[in-house]
Amino acid sequence: MTGFAELVAATNYSFLRGASHPGDMIKQAIALGYAGIGIADRNTVAGVVRAWSALREKNEEARHLSGHDVDLKLVVGARLVFCDGTPDIIAYPANRHGWGRLCRMLTEGNKQAAKGDCLLTFAHLTEFCDDLLLIAMASDEHEEILRRLLWRARGSLWLSATMPYNGDDRRRLVGQQALASRLGIPLIATNDALYAEAGDRPLQDIVACIREGMSMAQAGRRLFPNAERHLKSPREMKRLFRDAPDAIAQTTAFLGRVEFDLSQLHYEYPHEPVPDGWEPQEWLEHLVRNKLPERYPSGLTQEGLKKLQIEFDLIRAKNYAYYFLTVHDVVEYARGKGILCQGRGSAANSIVCYVLGVTAIDPIREKLLFTRFLSEERDEPPDIDIDFEHERREIVMQYIYDRYGRDRAGIAATVIHYRPRSAVREVAKALGISEDIVRRLTGTVWGSFSGSMEPERYRQAGIDIENPQIIRLKALVDRLLNFPCHLSQHVGGFVLTDGRLDEMVPIHNAAMPDRTFIEWDKDDIDALGLMKVDILALGMLTCIRKAITLMKQWDVGDYQLHTIPQDDPATYAMLQKGDSIGVFQVESRAQINMLPRLRPKELYDLVIQVAIVRPGPIEGDMVHPYLRRRAGKEKVEWPSPKPPHDPNELKEVLGKTLGVPLFQEQAMNLAITAAEFSHADANQLRHSMATFRNVGKMERFEEKLVTGMVRRGYERDFAKRCYRQIEGFGSYGFPESHAQSFAILVYASSWIKCHHPAIFACAILNSQPMGFYAPAQLVRDAREHGVEILPIDVNHSGWDHAIERGRDGSLALRLGFRLMDGFNRNWAEAVERARTVQPFASIERLARDAGLPSRALRLLSDADALQSLDMGRREALWEARRTPAGSLPLFEHAAAREIGDEPDARLPALQPWEEVTTDYQTTRLSLKGHPMQFLRPIFQAEGVMSCTDTCASGNGRIVRTAGVVLVRQRPGKGNAIFVTMEDEGGIANVVIWARLFERYRRQVMTSRLMLVEGEVQRSEEGVVHLMARRIVDRTGELNKLMLDEAIKASASDDRDGPSTVSLAGHPRNVRIVPPSRDFH
Amino acid sequence: MTSVRSGNRRYLALWLPWLSIERVIHAGGTQSAPPDAPLATVEKVKGALRLASVDRAAAALGLHEGMSLADARATVPELLVLDHNAYADAILLDRLAEGCTRYTPHVAVDGCDALVLDLTGSIHLFGDETTLIADVQARLARRGLQVRAAFAYGPEAALALARYQRTPVTDEYAAVMRLPIAALQLEAEHETALQRAGLLKIGDIARRPLAAIAARFGEDAVQAIRRMTGEAASPLAFRTVKAPLVFDRRFADPIARTDYVLERLADLAAQAMEALGERGHGGRRFEALFFRSDGLTRRLAIETGFPTRDIKVVMRLFRERIDTLDDPLDPGFGYDMVRLTVPRHEPLAAGQLRLEGQEAHAIQQVEELVDRLSTRLGRERVRRFIPRDSHIPEQAQLTLPAMEASQTQAEWTISPPGNPPLRPLHLFDPPQKIEVIAQVPDGPPHRFHWHKAMHEVSRFEGPERIASEWWKAKDGNPAHGAPTRDYYRVEDRRGRRFWIFRHGLYDEESEHPHWYLHGLFA
Repeated sequence: MTGFAELVAATNYSFLRGASHPGDMIKQAIALGYAGIGIADRNTVAGVVRAWSALREKNEEARHLSGHDVDLKLVVGARLVFCDGTPDIIAYPANRHGWGRLCRMLTEGNKQAAKGDCLLTFAHLTEFCDDLLLIAMASDEHEEILRRLLWRARGSLWLSATMPYNGDDRRRLVGQQALASRLGIPLIATNDALYAEAGDRPLQDIVACIREGMSMAQAGRRLFPNAERHLKSPREMKRLFRDAPDAIAQTTAFLGRVEFDLSQLHYEYPHEPVPDGWEPQEWLEHLVRNKLPERYPSGLTQEGLKKLQIEFDLIRAKNYAYYFLTVHDVVEYARGKGILCQGRGSAANSIVCYVLGVTAIDPIREKLLFTRFLSEERDEPPDIDIDFEHERREIVMQYIYDRYGRDRAGIAATVIHYRPRSAVREVAKALGISEDIVRRLTGTVWGSFSGSMEPERYRQAGIDIENPQIIRLKALVDRLLNFPCHLSQHVGGFVLTDGRLDEMVPIHNAAMPDRTFIEWDKDDIDALGLMKVDILALGMLTCIRKAITLMKQWDVGDYQLHTIPQDDPATYAMLQKGDSIGVFQVESRAQINMLPRLRPKELYDLVIQVAIVRPGPIEGDMVHPYLRRRAGKEKVEWPSPKPPHDPNELKEVLGKTLGVPLFQEQAMNLAITAAEFSHADANQLRHSMATFRNVGKMERFEEKLVTGMVRRGYERDFAKRCYRQIEGFGSYGFPESHAQSFAILVYASSWIKCHHPAIFACAILNSQPMGFYAPAQLVRDAREHGVEILPIDVNHSGWDHAIERGRDGSLALRLGFRLMDGFNRNWAEAVERARTVQPFASIERLARDAGLPSRALRLLSDADALQSLDMGRREALWEARRTPAGSLPLFEHAAAREIGDEPDARLPALQPWEEVTTDYQTTRLSLKGHPMQFLRPIFQAEGVMSCTDTCASGNGRIVRTAGVVLVRQRPGKGNAIFVTMEDEGGIANVVIWARLFERYRRQVMTSRLMLVEGEVQRSEEGVVHLMARRIVDRTGELNKLMLDEAIKASASDDRDGPSTVSLAGHPRNVRIVPPSRDFH
Repeated sequence: MTSVRSGNRRYLALWLPWLSIERVIHAGGTQSAPPDAPLATVEKVKGALRLASVDRAAAALGLHEGMSLADARATVPELLVLDHNAYADAILLDRLAEGCTRYTPHVAVDGCDALVLDLTGSIHLFGDETTLIADVQARLARRGLQVRAAFAYGPEAALALARYQRTPVTDEYAAVMRLPIAALQLEAEHETALQRAGLLKIGDIARRPLAAIAARFGEDAVQAIRRMTGEAASPLAFRTVKAPLVFDRRFADPIARTDYVLERLADLAAQAMEALGERGHGGRRFEALFFRSDGLTRRLAIETGFPTRDIKVVMRLFRERIDTLDDPLDPGFGYDMVRLTVPRHEPLAAGQLRLEGQEAHAIQQVEELVDRLSTRLGRERVRRFIPRDSHIPEQAQLTLPAMEASQTQAEWTISPPGNPPLRPLHLFDPPQKIEVIAQVPDGPPHRFHWHKAMHEVSRFEGPERIASEWWKAKDGNPAHGAPTRDYYRVEDRRGRRFWIFRHGLYDEESEHPHWYLHGLFA
């Protein structure tokens, strides 16, 4: 056998050094007929799983075509780059133990360094080189170091020889041969490859420039002189190494020494959750049986018991007991700490999870099938995501680190890829294209999630696409897109192991303190079948927990998340009206519009409500058919295949949703049932859906799905819609089990809002930032629901918002100091402490007793929080500014005032509009009024209607209305822009079509006060929209509010200079109203 | 303290609201743009691009300084963006200040867009205040600059009126009292507080007891008010004009001896060096002017490659210069004055002498030699090789006039000890085409034909493969580009060594690549 294996191949996971995806390296290696390839990236193994998966896929394809695997052996390791002058060493584990050593070594190096770096020394190498096969990228000058290494690594050290076309290649080869024979180690041939094909050189040069932070013109000899660092054919390698044929033969000999394969990474669950003396399965069954009465007080039905037994059998067969116990352990801990949590994900369909308290959905009641996703065919561990209160999730994370240790627990990585914006910026910089062009180009990219850089983008930016520089830019940007650029930590996916995690995969320090993460991301973890638990943060859980606590405290009910009364008609009535501001998930404009159309009556309706306003169903055009069927306007039927197939085959799949596929699972089952996908196919489809950005895979499925369905007699149109929907799911997959879990939170939050609006408002305001709405809208909404709102006051408020008994005895909301911009928690606590002794009677006492600095006093007086001190706002402000900070010891016990009296300053009287504008500036809301009420005379004179009148107008009327912009949204494909505006009486919802938007872009984007002329459109369900025709920016009116008449006179003749801008001083003060919340 | 206002002082404030943009327009930086396009300059602030200045059109569309570029673009997609260059703006403003010395020597720069002139007592020289303003505006308009000007009794008041008052006023004090408090340029926080207290105009504050203001807003606020009202003088920092370095020596009687005149020139050089030393500078160009009693003058100039304060060096260069004159210095009836000027000088730190003695650095000796040779032969004729960072052999070095060639980033490639040099010292430009018989694909040539002679290759090494610079491809396609070169070092039977290359890879780039001789090894 005289094959050749390239053992020194880097991928683009050698960040900014390699220039090919791992999969491309594998593909090229197969095409060239290599005996093997060794993937070794710079101090990392982050890319090896990709390579391994790529080979596995190629093997599957080959098996399908020819019945046997491809002839390529993949060995994986790392290129060790040292910081102490040791030459680069390529290390491959010979066996599983060697892999552990390699991972430990890299972990040690990572720990030494700040994030993203790895500092290795020779000592690390000698400590961890057991069972590692090493290739030294060394030359004569390293002879001494190699001799020292030989003490530890005799028999497993090779010396590399390369032929890089440097002119003196053969002379160097002779030198390497001499060195190898002096050391008594074999010489091994390699091309030290950085990319798959010679044509990848430009890309390699570009990443080198990005790395060095210079342009091509500056980089000069930092770039490689030629394009020889690619994978070369075995024939070519033999020709180059004709003087040293043994060096070629050594490559296959080396390959033969490697027994390790990533499939040997057997996952073992941590043992902690099982008490000594118990088998995991027995302990799990024991736990479940003990807890069964909590969930099913009257016991399970015969059918339920049967299902439970099926689950037990499956868990036993797949040996998943540990997994469920581990998740249970985390959940139990959180419960013990009173931290609300709730599981979702595929395994959440199970009775076991429900009984263990991991999930809140009763799978029997909701008729969910556990086996649907955890089937024996799919050899993957189950997937459970657990949401925790966002403010206290860190406690749970640190518990996991503590319980399992940092060498056994780590967060998964997220690979940060190049996106159009960053790719254009970096490539342009490397090509020396001016910043201005770059700005024009990147300015056309909205958001950062666009996956490609189409020619249209260049044209939009007014850039000549025929220009050579731009052709170059485009060619390279297209190739750099989706390159990994660095690793970051996943939001909360933990990998836990029984053995040392750092012997499975290297661990890094994260940028956040007290966090460590592993090198593999969730796809890698899936591919290797490791277990991952997602510990996620959810603001609504914080809110619900706070609300439950408040309800108990004010004695209006003692509930748990799952004991909140179900099927409450009042709650559903509220939702049917679209009254859902602040409610979980269904509070966006699109959701609010859907509520009156869907008219939810039971929990399952909420499940659908959550899932239906999503890109998947919308792009698949499934929403309207569903609504029509639900309203009884269209017959519920199932598309049928032609005979001989069962005409009702889809009834099973689509029955629950009236024949319209809405959930991810349904799309999957549809593919299996209607297009005869195998389970493996469907599984792959699901995978490509989840990782939609894996370019190119989805197209293959389109063909397969559509032709499959058409062949079986479905209409092509229906098949295409199904595919589009699956595609839509790709970006925002929404399976039924997730929707189920979310629906519970939707219901719980709605119930609290419906029955205890004050408590709900208080809890959600104390959980900010979260959700769609700013505090001002939440407060306003509470007010509209009859809640009395009490202002911030030093004698009553705390840091958090609180509940008090209002004037009429009902619960009222007292605003807290956290609403004030710039106020700090310690000051708030000092105020609360100090007034327990005695209420504050004067600013001076406040300053002295609470030890407040003058800045705090100023903020309090500006925010009108000194009302109970019985001073006018303006006087308080004037007084606060001269009150000395904190306590002066000399005067501590003296009753005398510290500062002398001053003659009355005779400040101008405070105007109501000044009160309101200052409120907005300091707390972003005002309880005293609305800026619009002061402008009403102006608008009334112009015949502009109020929002309330607009909403009451008849369908089709053309009206003009004005208001302060609250929220701008451009959902989905951006065909329409939704703007919510507010005046002193109510809100109005404006719809602006994209074409109109282009005309009024500036007005739409920047108006704080907008005047809209348009047609009132009233839907059957009573939802009113104003379809805009013309938009005027009237923000100037707000600014006028600020100005005294005299100033107005002197400024009015100067509308074009910056002096109007400087008039108002700091931009923050120009804002009478806070900026809107915009969602692209 | 007596009121400054009663002192009849007159200050003129000039505010250039669009200075940044107008500078770029004037420099032709916006020629490709449509004439009415809104313009802004941007700079990076904490990693985000923000507008640093806007023009009138952009301001009218609601854009303002400090806005993020992303926001500005979302609002006005057609916005044309230029790089902000605060340094260039400052230089321009400084030059305008210098130009204003035509009116008064007391010119101060305020912030980054305004000037204040103290014209007390000198207005009548230019007519009256109105004609003076018209004159300034006309001059600046020629440079494409718009200016708003205002006279007042104090500099702050003048600036405030220029910035905030559009229409002319009769009673300056009353007008100032009506200006918004923003004109006081207090801290933003204080400004807001005053507004919230209902005090919106300067007059609102000025009328109140200043002690109450001091207790709340500090002594600085009180000072600002007092200066605005003219009750306190402001410490204007007028720009000082650096005197040019000109040194004269007059003679009572005409001197006919050139040597004597040169000795006096050396005296002047000593004065010049002292003056340079005070500034921390060294001269790069020295000019000597010899004034003859019959009215003729003769000018001689020397330059140095590095800034210097060494009299000996300068005088030696002058002597060299005089020696090389085709037309020697002729004193005629004698010189009655000699003048030395230093038109070009650059910072030069004081040198540290070596502890063990005054031994000059070898480098310095070379520099001095270069200066002498360049003075003698002409600066273009004394050249030096400098290395450039390129793989392409003929681009890896460049010659520049030795006086200009200072340090470059690149370094010469040096073969490791014991290895032969990979490249010859001498390159042909252009490479010479040769006929070659060679192995394919990348074998060495067996023999080649050059200069009508056949050279049999007996030894060779290579190839060294140098690919083309794909980023210079004419059509922009990174896959296209000039052919790759394979270089060989070859030795013929007679021991002569050549550097030859094949232009293009067999099959991949060219069917029959040509061969060239690129250099000879010594």
